[in-house]
Amino acid sequence: MFSQWTFAKRLAAGYGAAALVLLLIAVVAHRSTTALTENDDKVARSYEVRAKFRLLLAEMIDAETGQRGFLLTGDDTYLAPYQAAVAEIKPTLNAVQQMATGNPEQERILSAIQPTIDAKLAELKRTIDLRRIAGFDAAAKEVATTKGKTLMDQIRSAVDDVDRQEGETLKRRIAQVEADSQWALGIILWGGFAGVIVVGMIGWLITRSLTRQIGDAVGHVQSSSSELQAAANQQATGLREQATAMSEITTTITELLVTSRQIAESAQRVAQIAEQTAGGARTGGDAVDLAQEAIGGIRRQVDQIVAYMLELGKKSQQIGAVLDIVSELAEQTNILAINATIEAAGAGDAGKRFAIVADEIRKLADRVALSTKEIRTLIDDVRSAVNTTVMATETGSKAVDLGSQQFGQVAAGFRDISGLVSTTTEAAREIELSTKQQTTAVEQVNLAITNVAQAAHETETSAGQTLQTASELAHLSTNLARIIRPQAAA
Amino acid sequence: MSDPPAAVTDTAAALRQAFDRSFAEARPAAPPAVEELLAITLGDEPYALRLSEIDEILAARRITRLPGGGTALLGIAGCRGTIVPVYDLRALLGCGRAGPARWFAMTADATLAFAFETLAAHLRVPHDAFVAHQTDARQRTPVRDFVRLDDELRPIVHLPSLIEALQLQVPATGNKRNSER
Repeated sequence: MFSQWTFAKRLAAGYGAAALVLLLIAVVAHRSTTALTENDDKVARSYEVRAKFRLLLAEMIDAETGQRGFLLTGDDTYLAPYQAAVAEIKPTLNAVQQMATGNPEQERILSAIQPTIDAKLAELKRTIDLRRIAGFDAAAKEVATTKGKTLMDQIRSAVDDVDRQEGETLKRRIAQVEADSQWALGIILWGGFAGVIVVGMIGWLITRSLTRQIGDAVGHVQSSSSELQAAANQQATGLREQATAMSEITTTITELLVTSRQIAESAQRVAQIAEQTAGGARTGGDAVDLAQEAIGGIRRQVDQIVAYMLELGKKSQQIGAVLDIVSELAEQTNILAINATIEAAGAGDAGKRFAIVADEIRKLADRVALSTKEIRTLIDDVRSAVNTTVMATETGSKAVDLGSQQFGQVAAGFRDISGLVSTTTEAAREIELSTKQQTTAVEQVNLAITNVAQAAHETETSAGQTLQTASELAHLSTNLARIIRPQAAA
Repeated sequence: MSDPPAAVTDTAAALRQAFDRSFAEARPAAPPAVEELLAITLGDEPYALRLSEIDEILAARRITRLPGGGTALLGIAGCRGTIVPVYDLRALLGCGRAGPARWFAMTADATLAFAFETLAAHLRVPHDAFVAHQTDARQRTPVRDFVRLDDELRPIVHLPSLIEALQLQVPATGNKRNSER
């Protein structure tokens, strides 16, 4: 439980225990001293009581002495001690009475002696008066009655009783005082010794626990300060790099600012060009519409050409059919000529002229066949050309259709271009506006980055100070460890 | 309409001029010694027939097939009111098969006809253009001589030998049938 106490609590407990020991010693010493003082007072009072009673006896003796001197001489000068004593006896008796208050024995003695004193004083005064009035003898006779002596002896006996009583009381009180003094001295000596031991033990315990815990704490502080030193070093390095990066960022942002302004100018130019493009796109759309109409006319012409070409192909086929007939006729003519030749050969000389005619017919048939072949070749060429033309025309028609469709797409594209260019114009204006806003924002960012760079620089300085503080803390913890644990620090 | 090409015009003019010249020239006193040939094509191979061995060239007509008779006998056909057997000249000569026969060549005695595909031309060839067959088996083959035409030797089918061979096959076939019975 003690190890869980705080430093202040331990110190408070230690100092409290020491203070308790000292308080105990102080109380005991105070009570002893008080008792000693009371005993001293009682002793002094006993001395004073004895002195007052002796003074009272002395004053009574002075009064008797003056009475005797006057009685012997009749000279009033001898009455001076008597008169002085009579004047002092009353206050002295009052004082004695006050001092005897609370002491029943003394009060009894005083109550017994007080009429005796009054009677003695009355005897003294009567004898003095007798001397003065009746002379020496009358006075001597009165004195010789021993009444005065008896009163005086009673007074002396009472004073002796009081003195003896006070002497015994005084002896007892002195013994008490000595005993109290010995007790007080013992208390002070042994109490102080015990207090020193207790305080020493408390101090040893506190020192040991605090040394251990403060040593551990100092060790932690040392390691923490080392870590803090390393962290401060890293932080300083990082902040230097951050400052460098901030400088580069500032440069980049400045370039970005210039670029943003250029972008804004370019966007403005783009907007202008886009407006011009929109006009061009509208013009192009109109031109495409006209071209599309022209292509429609071409499409109709091509359809007519295809129809003509197909008709030409049919005619060519008909020519081919006719040519087949001619070719077959030529072939049949040739066969007939051959047969005529055979017949002429069979007719002998009579058929020679017939053979000549047949030969001419055969030649003519050969020529017809040859021409037919040429015509067929030409017809084939024509038909091939027609087919090619038809195919080309159909291809052209398809191309025209495709062109018309593409022109339609181009017209739609021009319309889209016009719309897109309008959108582009708006976008370029928005870009211009946004870029201007961006420029303003970049300027603000630049200012903020400058502030951040300044803050980084200040933080770097602070990190340097932190590093210095960490170094000082490490040095301080080392010194503290050396103070707390010299052997460990060594 | 554009004018016809110059080549066609020239050809027409040449034909007209040749036709007119044939009437303008005098008749030849004696025709040159030539032999009439008929250039034909059997499959892809060129052949020639002598007109003197042919009675008539007829366009091919419907042939009625007959059972038996071998691959060369196509059937019988009616020609000028007479039923004649028609033989495939291409099969007889062992040439490759091509399209259907378009022409009949009637033999000189008009007893049978040889069918062939293509009639190429009517040739008048001098005698010195003929080349005789050099092998010893000349008497047994239907081709006994050739005619040289533009550095090409065209075989001349000897129809009488073909007819003789066919006539020799017919009794044999008839005897065979009799023996089977």
